[in-house]
Amino acid sequence: MADDVSRDRLRRLTLFAAILALQFAIFEVGLRTWGSSEAAPAFQGLFENDPVLGYRLKPGANTRFATDEFATEIRINSAGVRDDEELGEKPPNERRILILGDSLVLSVQVPFGQTFGELLERRLNSRGSPVHYRVINGGVQGYGPVQELLLLRSLLPVVKPDLIIETLFVGNDIEDASGAEPLLEPRQRPITDTVREATITRLRRIVRSSMVLQVLRLRVLAATQRFTRTAGPPEPPLQSYAAHPAPRIDRGLAIIHRVIQQMQQEGSAAGARTAVMLMPARFQVNDEDYGHLRDAVTQSGGTLVRDAAGERIDQALRDIPVQRLDVLPPLRAVGADVFFQRTVHLTPRGHQIVAEALDRFLRESRLLDGL
Amino acid sequence: MVFNSLQFVWFFVAVYTLYRVLPHRAQNWLLLIASYYFYAAWDWRFLGLLIGSTLVDYTCGLLLGHTESHARRRAILCVSLGFNLSMLGFFKYFNFFADSLQGLFGALGWQLDFVTARVLLPVGISFYTFVTMSYVIDVYRRELPPTRNLVDFGVFVAYFPHLVAGPILRASRLLTQIDAPRRIGRDQMRDGAWLIAWGFFQKIFVADNLASVTNMVFNPTAHQPGVNVLLGTYAFAFQIYGDFAGYSNIARGLSKLMGIELIENFRFPYFVRSPQSFWRNWHISLSTWLRDYLYIPLGGSRRSEARTARNLLLTMVLGGLWHGAAWTFVIWGLYHGVLLVAYRAGERLKWFNDWISGPAVFARITSWFIMFHLTCYGWLIFRSRSARQLGTLTADLVTGFAPRAINTEALLVPLVMYVTPLLLVHVCEAAYDNLLIVPRLPRAVRYSVYAATFYLIMLFGNFGGGEFIYFQF
Repeated sequence: MADDVSRDRLRRLTLFAAILALQFAIFEVGLRTWGSSEAAPAFQGLFENDPVLGYRLKPGANTRFATDEFATEIRINSAGVRDDEELGEKPPNERRILILGDSLVLSVQVPFGQTFGELLERRLNSRGSPVHYRVINGGVQGYGPVQELLLLRSLLPVVKPDLIIETLFVGNDIEDASGAEPLLEPRQRPITDTVREATITRLRRIVRSSMVLQVLRLRVLAATQRFTRTAGPPEPPLQSYAAHPAPRIDRGLAIIHRVIQQMQQEGSAAGARTAVMLMPARFQVNDEDYGHLRDAVTQSGGTLVRDAAGERIDQALRDIPVQRLDVLPPLRAVGADVFFQRTVHLTPRGHQIVAEALDRFLRESRLLDGL
Repeated sequence: MVFNSLQFVWFFVAVYTLYRVLPHRAQNWLLLIASYYFYAAWDWRFLGLLIGSTLVDYTCGLLLGHTESHARRRAILCVSLGFNLSMLGFFKYFNFFADSLQGLFGALGWQLDFVTARVLLPVGISFYTFVTMSYVIDVYRRELPPTRNLVDFGVFVAYFPHLVAGPILRASRLLTQIDAPRRIGRDQMRDGAWLIAWGFFQKIFVADNLASVTNMVFNPTAHQPGVNVLLGTYAFAFQIYGDFAGYSNIARGLSKLMGIELIENFRFPYFVRSPQSFWRNWHISLSTWLRDYLYIPLGGSRRSEARTARNLLLTMVLGGLWHGAAWTFVIWGLYHGVLLVAYRAGERLKWFNDWISGPAVFARITSWFIMFHLTCYGWLIFRSRSARQLGTLTADLVTGFAPRAINTEALLVPLVMYVTPLLLVHVCEAAYDNLLIVPRLPRAVRYSVYAATFYLIMLFGNFGGGEFIYFQF
């Protein structure tokens, strides 16, 4: 009797597992066919694993990325940066500007020809100068300042830039820098850590290969965060903008300081000048967004200071002799339509504004003079 | 503390674990304390109102049980009704009447600056005042003996699954279940679990996802072609249904797990062919309350057609006002009142009767189609933020039906995607005429529904959705 019950239970469990697996496959196919998120394998195919950086853009990768708001072709050249053309050998009359940054520089939301780097290149070359300018998009989705420094090290001998522009996204780069400190000083770690990391990497690869698993992972992460938050009072979001930020914000600022200093030194050793561009978050430009976030932060017991993150970074970099451009004022002056509605990235109009601001900045700061 | 929050999950797990090990009387104490905690989690300051209402109506019930004098019984009933209605009137309608008064006097050129106070609306007040009033009225009518157990009565009023958004339960149904020891059967557990899962599906997958479609169309500053207003109205019809029916299902499911049966609050309201059937199947607990405690006491349909029409209109206008203190709700109630009156008039015509209740496929499809769109127009009134917006949307609705005007990506695709799975299950339930058919389907089919529900919630559910719409009522 007991055997019958357990056999029936096993049969039921097997049936349910089979149905779950079948539907998993159906949803996987559906999402791969119609899904348009960054979790789509087509988009994830732009990246490959990297022993130092974790991941990087995959040389030679090519994809079409489409969502409700945009559809773009993305091509990664053999140097591992977004470009429709190969870099090739640097001709004597060519001056190269390498723009480093995260997704706001990579800009998969707009065609390559409409990115602010390309627009800048066209502006610079339209003035009949004897030198030819080449602006290189060194942005990588999800990178922070530390990864950008590490990427610079690998790109310096390939790109041979004359000017490096490090784009700091003030929305999350302080937090990103704070969390990436171990990458800056790799140390000998115990074997257990190495095994753990290898397992995590393997699991990540499995999860990355499936859209269903990627979405489920995000759900589980969100739920775990909510569960762990119940242990104590929740930390108000957007700490980089908080009136009284958590201690890690100071740590993040110190790391940014170190990163920029090292970029400047290593760039200078390779014959390149360095500049910094501060890129604002959408809510700093969009009043409605700001209202929602301010209320959310207030409700969780914090105070949101709209421009605090940019001001903090600016303050932290004061003693480093690098020219800085904050693109918040020109973007805010235009206001509408510079960011997409469903992502926090720049629209073609936003790219245009940034390109104009960069062009003006390069002329006024004379960063290109004498190159 | 909303059902779709982790705070509630912790709360229910703790309460349920204790509930399963306690004896019957201790279970009632636990339910009372848990319900008061649940309510206080919204705003502890309003807990006094809930307890006050409970004590007043418990006392009124006892006094009614002790007196035979008609005059005294009437006076006791008046005290109870007066207390509950003044509480409801003050907290729910003070702002509305103050603003309306100010607007009226403002139009006449007089400034009324003294009405500056704003009154906060205690959550669930419309629900629990109706629950307690029904108890006193039933005792007054001698349809129910008064309870002598204050704890049981407290649980009846504050029972947390139905406290803030119904169903509005009658004492004859709930109090008897609270009074008697509960047995929780296996079927009840299975049905309860399915109702909870299905309720979450209706809320997280259907309602919260359709909210963005609805918000886009009902944005006061936006002008949309008629076809998009229509799609937005469909979206709201399913959003409000998913939201409210979802809440009711979760409430029923939680209650089933505790061995207490709540009534079905929705029964395929969009499959009906007449306004009368709509109100028999939409928010059933409210419409039966209004029928039994307002429409019938007003005279119902016992007198002339004119009196019946007056009673219907009055009941529906007050029903509309119950939903919220705004003129659009009054118009919505009036609109449904007019539909009911017109339907009654139509019933006297043979061709109309044949058409509306005949078995012919064409008649069935056309009458359903017309009723569904009449209901949807009601939702357009309901969702409008002002009479001006209602006018604009109605004007938009009659122009711009070119196929190229359809906003396919932002409106049509989400609408089809989020409504189709809901309809598939409903068609199956309607075919068997059983809202709990899914747990009774053949094993492979029911497992497929369970798995699909899980994947759809997890992959496409909107976990950032807010409170249930009916909390504001």
